Amino acid sequence: MWSALWLSIRITAVAVVALIVLGVPLGWLLARRRFRGRMMVETLISLPLVLPPSVVGYYLLRALGRDSPLVTWLQVDILFTWQAAVVASTVVALPLMVQSVQAAIAEVDPSLENAARTLGVDEFEIFWHITLPLARRGIVAGGVLGGARALGEFGATLMVAGNIPNRTQTLPLAIYDAVQNRQYDLANQMVLLMTALAFLALWVVRRMEMNHHAT
Amino acid sequence: MPPEMPLLHVALCKQLSTFALDIRLDVGREIMVLFGPSGAGKTSVLNAIAGLLPPDEGEIRFGDTLFFRRQPGMPTVNMPVRKRRVGYVFQHYALFPHMTALENVRFALRHQPDADRRAREWLERMHIAHLADRYPRQMSGGQQQRVAIARALAAAPRLLLLDEPFSALDVAVRERLQADLKALQRELGLVVLYVTHRLEDAFAVGDRLAVIREGRVMQVGPIEDVVRRPSSLAVAESIGVRNLFRAAVVRAEPKGILLDWEGLHLWAAPQPVPVHSHVTAYVRPEDVKILYPDRPVAETVRFNQMEARICEVREGAHVRMVFVEVPNGHVLEIHFPHYAYTPLRLAPGDVIQIALRREGIILVPETVRA
Repeated sequence: MWSALWLSIRITAVAVVALIVLGVPLGWLLARRRFRGRMMVETLISLPLVLPPSVVGYYLLRALGRDSPLVTWLQVDILFTWQAAVVASTVVALPLMVQSVQAAIAEVDPSLENAARTLGVDEFEIFWHITLPLARRGIVAGGVLGGARALGEFGATLMVAGNIPNRTQTLPLAIYDAVQNRQYDLANQMVLLMTALAFLALWVVRRMEMNHHAT
Repeated sequence: MPPEMPLLHVALCKQLSTFALDIRLDVGREIMVLFGPSGAGKTSVLNAIAGLLPPDEGEIRFGDTLFFRRQPGMPTVNMPVRKRRVGYVFQHYALFPHMTALENVRFALRHQPDADRRAREWLERMHIAHLADRYPRQMSGGQQQRVAIARALAAAPRLLLLDEPFSALDVAVRERLQADLKALQRELGLVVLYVTHRLEDAFAVGDRLAVIREGRVMQVGPIEDVVRRPSSLAVAESIGVRNLFRAAVVRAEPKGILLDWEGLHLWAAPQPVPVHSHVTAYVRPEDVKILYPDRPVAETVRFNQMEARICEVREGAHVRMVFVEVPNGHVLEIHFPHYAYTPLRLAPGDVIQIALRREGIILVPETVRA
């Protein structure tokens, strides 16, 4: 159980970093820029929310498989490693992150950014000093929510990372194994732990929203 | 102040959602007031100058610096907003809510060695040094407005744009800010464009007035001139001129122009206007005088005497307003100070003698039709 928990935490931590790196620019793009194919991008990103995890997993399996052009190009073979679990968690959690960031940035008054422009500030500085600090609650909320989703990832992870104890067996997969092996005491402990973590994540997000509306 | 050497030159066309903007404007070191009703396109003009709204066609220039140009046969120029150095005070101040007053101003000075000291100087100059560590939400509207002006000026702008800057403030605060703005403009020799829909603001701060309606500049000139001599019916209506009427020019004599307003003959001051033409004219409510029945008539109100019946008497903050029906059945508005005509009984239904000052009858030039 402890090795599964440690692995889950490690995967989630890396996934959250990936979520921030990918989700913040994507959210900004969707909130602030009008471009052709914007709806398309938005829909594609949201797709993992409604697709069965096995379908997402299958796509990733093909994308990370031996004969995939991506793998030949990048020269990395991460299938059935914990890195593959990071990819699966990130893809599945990305819609939550992007939607959260997009909503938070859309709420930042564009006239503040315009005011900064008239003061001679360049676009990156505007993003860094104005948009990002004002949208930070939404970004943090997205990170927490996305992290919780990544922590709970099961289906897609199973398809691309497998269920190898001590190597790719995350907490949700360990729960499945424990139930299969009728280790109900172990399953109970892990289920409670997962529930507590998920509860905590939602509670933190809720608290942040409350504070936001109070100010 | 005379319209000096124009520095800012604006000539632009832009199709907006409901009408087309077609603006020509030259501004020198002065406060030019853009006056017009809401939705006339005033803010769009400021946005175009600042670079936030690219025109479809035209040229915007400040001195030798070309901000924007899109004209057939010429390469298009569109200088980025951050390089134009245009100070812009937005309608709702647009202060950065996560920064204190000092940080807001200092943000305009970032990358400069003595940013902190200079930001404090600007706060002092705007009389808000003591609010340096307050966040925008901890300040009143007037205080926020001062921070916004300090921030805009700290960036050493070429020109200053203000969008309805003081309309949300109460009278006392507004008057002080207006006085401070005017003093700053004189001291720094700023080129200022001031957008408002309130004519009182224009009088309080402006040197010249540009009346904007449906995306066009209807008239530009010193404020007194525009108000006393609106060039068109649209301007007259925009600036809230009372007692407008349409009349025929009966004859022109050395002593004046005789107008026929639906059967009522009125003398206006001598001026070049073709006889038998039709024209829109008005008489300012201050130029309609009530005559005392028992006193000799003064020379200034020798012309245009008539009988009138009082319809309504209203008390205003600064004047008393009397609405009277004149012999052709129309109603005229009369304004006078509360202390005037106190011996007279003025009540609805009463019949009084009035006179319209000959010089007070003004013909709107662009409304003359043969």
